[in-house]
Order: sequence, then C-alpha cells, then structure tokens
Amino acid sequence: MSTKKDETASFMLRFTQKIFNNEAGEPEVQWRGNIRHVQGGDEQRFSQFDEVVSFIQSKLADLTIQAMEDKPIEEQKGILSKSFDLWKKMALEGPKMVMETIKDPKKGVAHIQDQIQDQIHQVKDEITQKLEIDTWKRASKSDYNQIMQKLSDISNEVVALNNKVEKLSKKSSK
Amino acid sequence: MIAIEDQIADLVASRTDASISVQTLGNFQVWRSAELVGSKEWGRDVSLQLFQFLITHRHRRGLHKEQIIDRIWENVDGKAGQQNFKVAHHGVSKVLEPDRKSRTESQYIIRQGATYQLRFEDMWIDVEALDQFVTLGNQVLLDDPQLAQLAYREAIALHKGVFLPNRLYEDWSSEERERIQLLTLGAFISLSELLVKDNPLESVRLTQQALQIDHTWEDAYRIQMEAYLEKGNRPMALKTYKQCERVLEEEFGIGPLPETRQLYTKIKTIH
Repeated sequence: MSTKKDETASFMLRFTQKIFNNEAGEPEVQWRGNIRHVQGGDEQRFSQFDEVVSFIQSKLADLTIQAMEDKPIEEQKGILSKSFDLWKKMALEGPKMVMETIKDPKKGVAHIQDQIQDQIHQVKDEITQKLEIDTWKRASKSDYNQIMQKLSDISNEVVALNNKVEKLSKKSSK
Repeated sequence: MIAIEDQIADLVASRTDASISVQTLGNFQVWRSAELVGSKEWGRDVSLQLFQFLITHRHRRGLHKEQIIDRIWENVDGKAGQQNFKVAHHGVSKVLEPDRKSRTESQYIIRQGATYQLRFEDMWIDVEALDQFVTLGNQVLLDDPQLAQLAYREAIALHKGVFLPNRLYEDWSSEERERIQLLTLGAFISLSELLVKDNPLESVRLTQQALQIDHTWEDAYRIQMEAYLEKGNRPMALKTYKQCERVLEEEFGIGPLPETRQLYTKIKTIH
C-alpha cells in the first residue's frame, strides 16, 4: 500500500536577484536560482522559470509512477496513457504545427488551438474556454523558436516517460 | 545597551556556561554538562528526530502535538504516531535531564496542554549562535569593520557542514538548512571582502570555502579575483574568471555580470 510519504514531493526554491547595467548603460535584472527536490535530494540550477517547471514535472511524474507500482498493470497503463495522451499528441503534431505556424501565424495558432480543444474534449475536461489568438498575430521569430524549443522539451519528456512505463511494465511482468 | 563587542564576548562565553550544548552543523552532537552524549543514550531514533525537530522549530511558539507527529512521522498511522511521540518525549527528557524526578517540570521542553516547545535560551545551539554572530557583524559592518570581522570569524568557525546532515531528505529540516546556508555564505563573502586589501591570501581561502558551499556564487569569484590581483598573482586572477565563466555557463547558461567582466578586462590589461 502507498504510504502518505509516497504522495508528497517538496521543493526548495532559491532565487538570487542580480541588478546591473548592460553595455548600453540600461538597467537590467537577472534571476538565478536553484531548486531542490527535498525527498530525493536532486538539485538543479536555473535562470529561466521554464526549467523549474520541467524539473518539478519530472519529479512529479516519478512520484506518480512510484505510486502505481502496486496497481495491476492494466490499471497502470490506463492511468498513464490518459495522463500522457495530451503530451504525446502535442509531441507528434508539434513539428508540423510549428512549420505551419511559421508560414501562417494565425492559421498555425488556430491549429494549435484546435488540437488543444480536441484533447480537452477527449479527456472530458471541464475547460471550455477558447484560447485568445489575436495577440499571436504579430508573433516574432523568437516566439517560434520558443515554441519549437518547448515542443522539443515535451517530446523528450514523453520519450523519458515512455521509457519509464516500459521499464515498469517489464518489472511487473517478471 | 550592551556594546556589540561585549555581546560578541558574551556569546562566545555562553558555550562554556551552557548545561546543554548542541552541534547541528556537519554532524549532530549533544553535550550535557560538557560531556558528550553517546548515541546509545538516545535509544530509538524517534527521540533524536523529536529533539532535532524542536531545535529546528525553536522559534515557533507552542507546536501542537498532532502537528509535530504529522510533520515528523507523516507515513505512520495515528496510533503509531502517538506511540512514537510518547517514546520520543520520554527519550529526549531522559537525555537532557537524566536526574529529573518524575512528575516535575522539564527545564527544556515546555508543555502547555497539547503544545510543546523548546526552551532554547538555556541551551547553546550552534545555528542560533551563528545566526547571532552574523547579525552582530552586519550591524557594525560599516561603522566598525574590525569588530565585524571578529563576529564573522566566530560565525564561520561554527560552520562545520550542512545543517542536520542526517535529515537531508526530511521536509521539516529544509527551510532552516537553506536559511543557515545563506547566512553562512553571507558571512564568508562579507569577511573575504573586508580582508581583500589587508590579507588577500586569507580572502582567497575564504572565497574558496564559500565556493565549496555553492560553486555558482559569483561574488566569491569576483572577490577571489581581486584578492589574487592584490597579491600580484595575475594568472590566478584570470584563471578564477575563466572558472567562474565556465561554471555559470554550465549551471545557468549565462555569462558573468558586467562587474565581473570589467574586472577581468582590467586584469588582462595589467602587465
């Protein structure tokens, strides 16, 4: 049976602020930090908050997998596939969507919106609000690069999670 | 008002005067009337856990028994938690006051109804002393740098490692560990900065110690560069910058601050 400890993940976050003048003499603020997973002891430094989110996400995924170790394999697969469904589809459709977005920003973002809406319906979530796309009309190249990077990160995460699932399945079938 | 110098002296003396002394940094040890308490005296680990928890939360007034149980033994059921607390409370009392008669009030663990707290004012605890030394140093940093040096030195001398190393993975100890680490880093940086001109080699040593605590602490690299420069060791100053640049790139994906880069440029131009 899962203990209460198995359901908890704590994180210690440290932010250090650096204020300085750049070469043009303009003031700038930089944030540096580190995040530590208390129960596991792993630590990661960051200068972008995205890195924090992905660190937390990976630790929480580990926790979910650990918590399901004693469940029947079919149930494990069910929970995990529901949980990863959205990520998988995003990762598969991602590169195509990005190319379309670069060609036609509005159409591309509308496509992403449709994908998300589609997934929301599939998992019977209660979120029904449409995404606001007008602000995306003048998206810059760096925005596309960011999207590309994010999708690549998601893709890597899905691969890592799938590997874990496979490991679990093998372990359970022994 | 007591002069800062006297406060520092009193704080130093309080260690020898205390009937109970506790080391939490780098190792956990307790002395009762100057005699080291053997690990066997604690009996079960639950006693150590409770005492360490009370030390960690020494500034919290009146912790409820259920709250304590929930934080320390979160993975056990209610009955086992109550039993753990009973055993632990008895164990701690036995270690701190072995000669105390039953049904008499404890000098160190104050109980009010179902709440408990540590009367730490009657003990010497390294992290509490470290905290006070750093506070005193910061108070006189601008007006009396010599006195500030004395206070920081006392604080640094107490730093033997991380807070409660045997509870690294316990949620309840994390906040205090983080607080103490930052306090200690601050003391190392302030003292090394104060010594750059008068004792650059000592300044280098102190920054090296700071970097052992956190190897991404850019202030430490910059002060170390200044200290090497002061000592006339230009190659080491340049090497320190390169190390700083590499570490920041590896850990954060960023470069050093303009202040550090400017110092590097200045050192490079010196022949």
